[in-house]
Amino acid sequence: MTLKVAIVGCGKIADGHVEQIREMPDMARVIAACDLELLMAEQLAARYGIPAHYDDFERLLAVEKPDVVHITTPPGSHLALTTRALEAGCHVYVEKPLTPTLAETRTLVERAQAAGRRLTVGYTYLFDPPALAMRELIAAGEIGEPVHVESFYGYDLAGQFGSALLADANHWVHRLPGRLLHNNIDHLFNKMVEFIDDERPALLAQGFVRRTARFGDARDDMHDELRVMVSGAKVTAYGTFSAHVRPAPHFCRVYGTKNTVTVDYLARTVLLEGTSQLPSAIGRLVPAFERAGRFAGQGMKNLAKFARADFHFFAGLSHLIRAYYRSILDGGPPPIPYRDMVAVAAMMEEVFTQIGATAAPPRPPP
Amino acid sequence: MSVLVTGSNGFLGAALIERLMARGETREVRAMVRAGSDRRRLDAGAARYPGRPLRVVEGSLASAAAAARVLEGAQVVHHLAASLRGAAADMFLNTVVTSKNLLEAATRSKSPPRMVLVSSFSVYGVADLPRGAVVDEETPFEAAPERRDLYAQVKVRQERLFRDYHAQHGVPLVVVRPGVIYGPGGSGLSVRVGLRMPGVFLHFGGSNVLPLTYVDNCAEALCVAADRAGGDARTINVVDDDLPTASAYLARYRGEVERLRSVRVPYPVTMAMSALVERYHHWSKGQLPAIFTPYKSATAWKGNRFDNARLKALGWRQIVPTEDGLARTFADLAARR
Repeated sequence: MTLKVAIVGCGKIADGHVEQIREMPDMARVIAACDLELLMAEQLAARYGIPAHYDDFERLLAVEKPDVVHITTPPGSHLALTTRALEAGCHVYVEKPLTPTLAETRTLVERAQAAGRRLTVGYTYLFDPPALAMRELIAAGEIGEPVHVESFYGYDLAGQFGSALLADANHWVHRLPGRLLHNNIDHLFNKMVEFIDDERPALLAQGFVRRTARFGDARDDMHDELRVMVSGAKVTAYGTFSAHVRPAPHFCRVYGTKNTVTVDYLARTVLLEGTSQLPSAIGRLVPAFERAGRFAGQGMKNLAKFARADFHFFAGLSHLIRAYYRSILDGGPPPIPYRDMVAVAAMMEEVFTQIGATAAPPRPPP
Repeated sequence: MSVLVTGSNGFLGAALIERLMARGETREVRAMVRAGSDRRRLDAGAARYPGRPLRVVEGSLASAAAAARVLEGAQVVHHLAASLRGAAADMFLNTVVTSKNLLEAATRSKSPPRMVLVSSFSVYGVADLPRGAVVDEETPFEAAPERRDLYAQVKVRQERLFRDYHAQHGVPLVVVRPGVIYGPGGSGLSVRVGLRMPGVFLHFGGSNVLPLTYVDNCAEALCVAADRAGGDARTINVVDDDLPTASAYLARYRGEVERLRSVRVPYPVTMAMSALVERYHHWSKGQLPAIFTPYKSATAWKGNRFDNARLKALGWRQIVPTEDGLARTFADLAARR
């Protein structure tokens, strides 16, 4: 059986979903695209040869009867659309951030469970090949017990997403309580929550605006820097979001009682660092060569994957979608635990409360 | 007459505003800009014509209601606002959906203004024409836009939308299709000359004539089309006379602007390479983008000539000779380096 998939919300990220799904014809096929603006649904359908497109989600559900719905709309609509899809018997993949508030996230998870349908959220970096390799190393006991996690997410406001939201004071990102941070910092927390067992760990956050004001509206006070410290009973974590550091880093480092492991999501490397056993100055000389050797090994592995055509930009998205579809077809647990989704939403809400971030008021159109 | 220009702080937009003021035939020139956008080009042009009736209107085409506020009272609209690059969804949103909002607003107004749409040569279906064929306004529209680059896809859809609104709602329309617009402040090397790669410029254009139009000549063409082409959806190509070949242009660019290492790629080699890139793209399941395909390469480098007889028949004259246009452009490019 192949799953019939519908895409709702035909913005930038929808392309990535369709491109990955069409590379797994053994599991699924995209049968329809939907957007409130029919021209947007039409362009996605035209570019990828999707047989049907709609501007009415109810009609799509009634006519196409999809098995799975991917919701790639702005977060404010996620709860309502997911609820309708669940009622129609669909499994639902929701883009991150899952919802604008913790309460909505809880409701959404409860509804999926009550409907007996599988829910997942677009935490794709957790499924990037080096992140999967890191989890294997940790499961094999290579780092010992985790002690501390460092999660860093750099952002470029001049990039495609950044410039789109700066150009438009009414961009949906400005309607989220945490605005720019809200659309990004689940990438900080979703890497921590699997190590921090506590229901509500202590959290300390500071937010900053580093840009110079230039719009004269709510865009000017949007936070673009964040520092967070999370203290669980056994494991602590630092989270950093920065829109100004160059090159914009994206890494996660897990410090353990035996060794430390670092995943660099941009260079697609996973590096295990151990304590040098060599004496005196030799112990300071050799580690650089050891690390160089490990990086070279990673580079060669990546090159081999590239040569086999297995080194794609959206590798994490592809792995996540596959794992999710497999859970539907085989009846296994969903790839991202619901507990983690709620934990991420709780941390985000706490951050926004502490730094005083609020949604920008709707701006009357000029 | 009140004339509205969207995209007025762009390369062509700022030149059009200047041209409208220089001609002095318009009661009011309204320059639409989005809030927070860079207005330096527009301001510099306006400063050269103090006392002329220019009004800068901050607005948006993000909804039909917003577009209606921008449109109010305009008798002619030069619609230049478009997305030149970016993600596919953004390009469609900022070119096609904004056009729909503008057209919706026009249909709701008591007296719809005449729309002058700035389309593009990229809407022509030239891939299957013989090499050297002359493209005029009767050349068929692109039938397979999904095989073209995003810019062409977006411009094809935009022009179809305008034609639909003309046919179904009677919105008066002139479609102007410029070639490669060049001039001071513009970019130096069009894709029709070739592509800049790390360390080397791949020169694909060879002896093809570059379909250039100097930015002021193009702006003049828009004014002429708006005045004299009626509103019955006529198409008008805009391209200058006495045009250089791609190789002559590149030679001059290398002499006057930048010492560029370039390799000339003959057309058959370009096509063979494009076929390989496309096959690799499919085999690798999109590991690298299909920036070259035989279809795309044929549209860019097969070599067509473009006809401007219809534009001349309307009374357009090239106000800046090509030789002067090139000299000014290369001097500006050299100064900006």
